Amino acid sequence: MSKVKCDHCHLEFSDDVMIHDGEYRFCCNGCRGIFHLLKDEGLESFYSKMGSTTLSPPAEQFEASSNFDTPAFSERFVTTTKEGLSQVSLVIEGIHCAACVWLNEKALHKMEGVIEAHINYTNNKARITWNPADVKLSAIIDMIRAIGYNAFPYDSSLQEVRANKERKEYYLRMAVATFATMNMMWIAVAQYAGYFSGITQDIKTILNIAEWVLATPVLFYSGWVFYRGAYYGLRNHAVTMDLLVVTGSSLAYLYSIYITLFEKGEAYFDSVAMIITFVLFGKFLEVLSRKNAADTLDIIGKHIPREVSIVEGESIRSVDVNEVKVGDVIVIRSGERSAIDGEVISGEGSFDESNLTGESEPIFKRIGDRIISGTTSIDALIHYRTTKDFAHSTLSNLVNLLENAMAQKPSIEQLANRLSQHFSSTILFLAIATFWGWYFWPHTFDRSLMVGISVIIIACPCALALATPVATLVGLALGAKRGILFKSAAQIETMAKATMVVLDKTGTITQGRPEVVYATIHTPFDTGALHTLVSSSKHPISRGVMEYLERTEEAIESGTIEEAREIPARGMVGRSNGVMIAGGNALLMQELGIEVDSVSDKSLFYYALDNRLVATYELRDLPKEKANESIDSLKKLNLRVVMLTGDHEAAAMRVAKEVGIEEVYAHLIPEGKAAFIDKAHAQGHIVVMAGDGVNDLLALAASDIAIAMGNGSDIAIEVSDVVLMNDSLTSLAEAFSISRKTYGLIKQNLGISLVYNSITIPLAMMGYVIPLIAAISMSFSSLLVVGNSMRVRWMYK
Amino acid sequence: MDSWVIAMMLGASLFLGGIALVAFLWGIKNGQFDDEKKMMNQVQYDDERELNDAANQQRKKESVNKKEEYRPE
Repeated sequence: MSKVKCDHCHLEFSDDVMIHDGEYRFCCNGCRGIFHLLKDEGLESFYSKMGSTTLSPPAEQFEASSNFDTPAFSERFVTTTKEGLSQVSLVIEGIHCAACVWLNEKALHKMEGVIEAHINYTNNKARITWNPADVKLSAIIDMIRAIGYNAFPYDSSLQEVRANKERKEYYLRMAVATFATMNMMWIAVAQYAGYFSGITQDIKTILNIAEWVLATPVLFYSGWVFYRGAYYGLRNHAVTMDLLVVTGSSLAYLYSIYITLFEKGEAYFDSVAMIITFVLFGKFLEVLSRKNAADTLDIIGKHIPREVSIVEGESIRSVDVNEVKVGDVIVIRSGERSAIDGEVISGEGSFDESNLTGESEPIFKRIGDRIISGTTSIDALIHYRTTKDFAHSTLSNLVNLLENAMAQKPSIEQLANRLSQHFSSTILFLAIATFWGWYFWPHTFDRSLMVGISVIIIACPCALALATPVATLVGLALGAKRGILFKSAAQIETMAKATMVVLDKTGTITQGRPEVVYATIHTPFDTGALHTLVSSSKHPISRGVMEYLERTEEAIESGTIEEAREIPARGMVGRSNGVMIAGGNALLMQELGIEVDSVSDKSLFYYALDNRLVATYELRDLPKEKANESIDSLKKLNLRVVMLTGDHEAAAMRVAKEVGIEEVYAHLIPEGKAAFIDKAHAQGHIVVMAGDGVNDLLALAASDIAIAMGNGSDIAIEVSDVVLMNDSLTSLAEAFSISRKTYGLIKQNLGISLVYNSITIPLAMMGYVIPLIAAISMSFSSLLVVGNSMRVRWMYK
Repeated sequence: MDSWVIAMMLGASLFLGGIALVAFLWGIKNGQFDDEKKMMNQVQYDDERELNDAANQQRKKESVNKKEEYRPE
């Protein structure tokens, strides 16, 4: 059967399964609906625009759009503009191509009352402005859904807006600076040529004036950030790099104006522009790689359920979490996360509490058991009565603690910052001393001033300003290639200085899922039935047995099982070829009347045929590959390696012994882990914490550097400073070595620029520096620093 | 007199360059470079209909502003 393209989504299917609609073919009714809608709206040129892209067919189910109109929603997401219009930020799901962006914008623009719909293709975020008098937000959402996309609201936080604004401001300033400096260079070529081969004074003045015109916006527009920085520095009684840049460039600028007007000597306008441009680029690199703590908190907020389903008599109503009172009855379905603490009043099932406790085993809850907010129902459909309101529930408390911890996160002063303070004051002092020296060693005021200024210019902070950002960029790139993502450049330096590394057990050192370590076969049996039985369950123990069977058995013939069912917190039973089969824990065996020896510190999985035990599997959470070597290499870096876990002592000790960690603290609650890190801080340690779960969150937030595993929980990844994409401990060791190398590079770069200065500054003080030398030395020192950083990059390719 | 030629040429070229710079700055401020992926595809969506649509949106915006102004409350 030949394949035919669906006329909407362009996916290919065989002709006989397609919906025939005149000359058109559709893969599903959703596609057909959208196709006709677009035709009616006159938007069918979408299909010619989208070219060869294929779309995903629209999903059928959508929650009601009416909750987009609720006051709670608009209070949270909708802003009102000056003109009295409403504005919302949405993430549009399902955008595949530029034509999708076009379609959404056009469809929304056609709606009465939609004033503006702007969709960003790169990040799929949309900003929609509408007149609330003419159209409701729910109608807008319905339109987006009708044409085959979906929309979610997101908090366009002030932080994000501000960060974007700051970045844009830098782009503007850099554009001006680059334009002016590049143009100045060709004017400068004429100047230098004139310096060596002779030039008439009037031409020189013309060139000077042109440079003056170009240097002015660079200094006062592009360089404004330095004036601001210097001002705030002075208010805090600190001599900053900004002050040095500002004094140097302003003095040189004023002096050059004087030269231009009185037509004597050489002007330094090109140096002014160059200093500002170089240092501005350095500063921009810093801004780019800065991370915002507040943004992280916003994202954590998104993981908290905002609505819960409340049972009122017969009906179920979804309400905002803040409106829930103590004593209300909440229903939780499988896969949902609880937002409020409470007590089960009906139903039973397993809950995943690994978020909070780190225990990988699901916890079985029945009537009377406590539900902790933040835990997820695996298969349970239960009703529970709230015992606390949202603000006092465990989850909210955790978020509050987290906010505090992040606000108090210690920041370690960066080497370059500390150095630049001393550097700046020294240079300023030298410049003044040089001026007075020359003035009293009888020279004219002009000459002395020029030499004094040349000291500041030659002590160009360009190299110093570029030393750290360029080196950290190299470090970031090296890490990214190996799957190590440093979120913020400044953290590389802190990590290099770390003295202690704290590891979480489950999921960080170990794989986070149980594996069969020992199998006892009492009587040979057909593994096919067992395989089918365990594959029907999502329980980690069953998964472990399943993987073991797939690993060890050459060919598994799937057996057929009838009446298979899962007994919560026990195991599974079923019937295969008339034989009753059962797989599960000791409890299940006891209920079946089988005597088992259940004394083991590992998890045991029993398999029985017709109430006769045929096999026992021992499972445990094994350490990751190469954990041993990685811990060893961490120790070789002179790091104190500590393991923290919420698990019990015995399990913790065994893992620790296997991987070679001596210091172990077991049975810790999340707050306990954070307290441990605070204690380490008090002892003067710089602590790196690696973890993966929500139970590590507080500790991660409290540590100097938080490292998350790539498959850890989203929140942990958000809170962390470094993410290890491949989850391995090897990359943890690598992250340390990269950060140390980068820090070494920073030191080298700073060294280069200091050595450079110690050579050129005496020259300047002796009065040998002309503008040409100043310009060359500036470029050369910057090139040295950049080149040195590149060298490391090539070496570690 | 030579020097006037140089001055004029310098002035003219800086002026022309300046116009380009101002246009570029206007583009940045206007958000035309905010979305690199969309920017690259913009040329596909640049026919008469798009202009009409843009003009329509502008009219909508203005009508709202006017309503606000004329409302006596």
